[in-house]
Amino acid sequence: METTAVRRRESDEDATPAGALTLERRADGRLWAVLGEVERAVWVRRCFPWSEPARFVSLRDDEEREFALVRDPADLAPASRRVLEEAMVAAGFVFEIIRVIVIEEEVEIRHWRVDTRQGARSFQTRLDAWPRLLPHGGLLIRDVAGDLYHVADPAALDRQSRALLWAFVD
Amino acid sequence: MDTERHKLHNLHNLDSEIVARYTDQPPRLPAELRRLIEASWHGAPVQLYALADLDHALRLTHVWVALGPGHLSVARPVDGGARWEIDSVERARIQAVREAPGLSASTLTILGRPGDPPLAVLRYSHRQRRAYENLKFVLEEALEGRAVTAPDADQEYVASVAGPIRDAQALVSGRQVAVIRRLLGYLTPYRRRLTLGMAAATLITLVSLVPPYLAGYVIDRVVRPAQEGRLDTGHAATIAWLAVGAMALVYLVRQAAALLRLRLMAVLGEWVARDLRAELYEHLQRLSLAFFSRKRTGSLITRVSADTDRLWEFLAFGVVDVSLSLVMLAGLGAVLVSLDWRLGLVMTLPVPLFCWAIYRHGEALNRVFLRVWRKWSRLTDVLSDTMPGIRVVKAFNQEAREVARFDGHNDDVTDEINRLHGLWTTFWPLLMLAVHATTLGVWVLAVPRLLGVGPALSGGTFVSFLLYTTMFVGPIEVIGQMARTMQRATTSAHRVFEVLDTEPEVTDAPRPVRLEPVRGRVTFENVTFAYDGVRQVLRGVSFDVAPGELIGLVGPSGGGKTTIVNLIARFYDVTGGAIRIDGVDLRRLETGHYRRQIGMVLQDPYLFHGTVLENIRYGLPAASLEQAVAAARAANAHDFICKLQHGYDTVVGERGHTLSGGERQRVSIARAILHDPRVLILDEATSSVDTETEREIQEALERLIAGRTVFAIAHRLSTLRKASRLFVIADGRVVESGTHAELVAKPDGKYRRLYEMQVELA
Repeated sequence: METTAVRRRESDEDATPAGALTLERRADGRLWAVLGEVERAVWVRRCFPWSEPARFVSLRDDEEREFALVRDPADLAPASRRVLEEAMVAAGFVFEIIRVIVIEEEVEIRHWRVDTRQGARSFQTRLDAWPRLLPHGGLLIRDVAGDLYHVADPAALDRQSRALLWAFVD
Repeated sequence: MDTERHKLHNLHNLDSEIVARYTDQPPRLPAELRRLIEASWHGAPVQLYALADLDHALRLTHVWVALGPGHLSVARPVDGGARWEIDSVERARIQAVREAPGLSASTLTILGRPGDPPLAVLRYSHRQRRAYENLKFVLEEALEGRAVTAPDADQEYVASVAGPIRDAQALVSGRQVAVIRRLLGYLTPYRRRLTLGMAAATLITLVSLVPPYLAGYVIDRVVRPAQEGRLDTGHAATIAWLAVGAMALVYLVRQAAALLRLRLMAVLGEWVARDLRAELYEHLQRLSLAFFSRKRTGSLITRVSADTDRLWEFLAFGVVDVSLSLVMLAGLGAVLVSLDWRLGLVMTLPVPLFCWAIYRHGEALNRVFLRVWRKWSRLTDVLSDTMPGIRVVKAFNQEAREVARFDGHNDDVTDEINRLHGLWTTFWPLLMLAVHATTLGVWVLAVPRLLGVGPALSGGTFVSFLLYTTMFVGPIEVIGQMARTMQRATTSAHRVFEVLDTEPEVTDAPRPVRLEPVRGRVTFENVTFAYDGVRQVLRGVSFDVAPGELIGLVGPSGGGKTTIVNLIARFYDVTGGAIRIDGVDLRRLETGHYRRQIGMVLQDPYLFHGTVLENIRYGLPAASLEQAVAAARAANAHDFICKLQHGYDTVVGERGHTLSGGERQRVSIARAILHDPRVLILDEATSSVDTETEREIQEALERLIAGRTVFAIAHRLSTLRKASRLFVIADGRVVESGTHAELVAKPDGKYRRLYEMQVELA
């Protein structure tokens, strides 16, 4: 692995010797990052979840401090990369809408009933909370609880879903 | 206490209704599962629970996690939910709880001994996040040796799931009909005027039916017999002039009734709107701070202004228009069918179709409106971004890009609005064409009969028919838009009634106590407080402050300092323990009287729109000019006020003269001095001003605090050197207390560390 692929947290640079970053899932079920002689249980955050979801992954410890920044998982050893990619799936999880069944306006909220890849789901958005158009043409909807719903390609949905979404797509 | 229980019960019911209606999850832990879990714990109760709505493959599921006094259990559905697989661990084995947050799903890992497999791994969407925050808080507190128990597990769970929806929506109990009925109830005090208005409107409707009938009558009974020589000309002229006179009378009566109706209903609607506004504003003043922190200020202002205005429109005209349009349509139908049932049916049968078409057109317009609204908000976003940030735009030479961005959105909006124009400009001519086609149908059926083929039809009846057909369009339009009118009115009514239905969280006891005089002893007895859920912001705070003491509250942000002063001012009631003022529980005091003994000087003092004098006298409007000037002098404000062109009569606040931060602060100190409180709260009163101004404010504050019990929050520790005692607040507790000298002398003290850091920075 090239050392340039991984940048350690600034404050650790003097405290820990430089070395290759390895990641492993240990018996306690958590993701552990080992950098030189320093190891820490971490969780991952994608820095660019929509514009560059596969690159720039921040590894953060329980205190919410960055332990290391992985610019490209391809630069990691295969085992570490596999573990990281598994963790990225959970970290980048959003509901994937595959069918829109109902969009109804009620007092101050919009009520949505959809089928997602994860199962049927109902959620609510504020009336003035518009879906966000993503760089790749998808649609991202945020409900009142903060959950995210992604429509990868609105044009590929069935006719009824497209009709219901028409007002929200450019 | 019964009232409290009743309020909680109502809220719980509302939350349960929200969860059942809007989410795909049960409003409580299934009773059978609860029984199984408690049985596996040898009867110990479930104290807190949450739903993990995602499995390990991130598919939606219903896994329950329940916490009891000695155990934590995870229940997974098996056999399609027919059975439960319950894994229990003893709480004594839990050594850590870790949460890994994601974009839309988080993972909570409950850990045992280091290196051992996790005791439980739970995945959940953000909808469950607050329930898990509660769970995590209780487990972590237990690891620190502190027991926290939720008062009601069902209530905590349902409130955590329903909370975001409840906060976003004005939800009142009852459906649309009940809300409209409640709204109409506001007309009751004005029923005499309402009856008169309705009678006038009914008269308008009925007399409108007369002119076409008269026209037919004159043609059949006067003109044609006269032309055919069956009626002598003199007699015919008399009848015709009588008919014309009757017509004039009809029009006169109609317009007089219209005048009466418009004036009565407009005024009546205005009175109802006034009553609603007054009730709403009065109620808003009674509500606790918690309500205002949940709702956006803009939304509350809209409820008092735009929503009541919309309700005026509905009550003044909507109710009457809709009911009279129904009467008019029924009347027209009856008259036409009675004149000639064949032609009558031709005219009346398509009416429901026209109403339906208008309704559908309204729906189509709504969808385009939604697009227009969305694109408008993008356009206004550009404006609200660039106008306040114009210096940044210019500094980065981005004017051209911003103009292009605005133009792009402007074109988008125009395209959508033109789409809207395309819709209605197509629809209405088409609808009128359909109405004309109906009229044409009448002609097609009538012409042979007028010429003597088929059943007889007189020319007069036919003319009456034609005149009646023109009267159909108006009521059809009103009925077609009825759904939208009702929807708009109920939305506004919901928003208004939600405020009126919200009970203040801080209320007076049945027989409140008045402390006269308040001496200013403030005692905290093991006070705990949570803004929501079970996560405590204060965890067992105890202290006793004697009258006249100056207490400095210091410590990191989020430690609980502001919560302590909010509780002293009784903006909220404690969750556990008690606060005593001169030995009396704060909850037993008369809130209004007690608050008059409290003064506050905040970091960013708020001055109301009005003169400097009115602002100084805000808490004591009857104060004399001498008292106001004395207070301003004591606050070091008199000099700068005299330099203002209009002196104490200068209008300040929003849209008024702009005072600097330091000047506003001194006016607010003058206000507090005049108010003469026994307990004074200073929240970062000198943090946002320069050194010279700070000296002047400090001087003013020293005059203000003399002889009062003072709680002062300050990040700049040097300002608290004169404090009788300092309380270091961290993590919801008083972690150190003593004088400045005592605390600085502590070798590993938190205060000492904070103080040394500030000295170094200085």
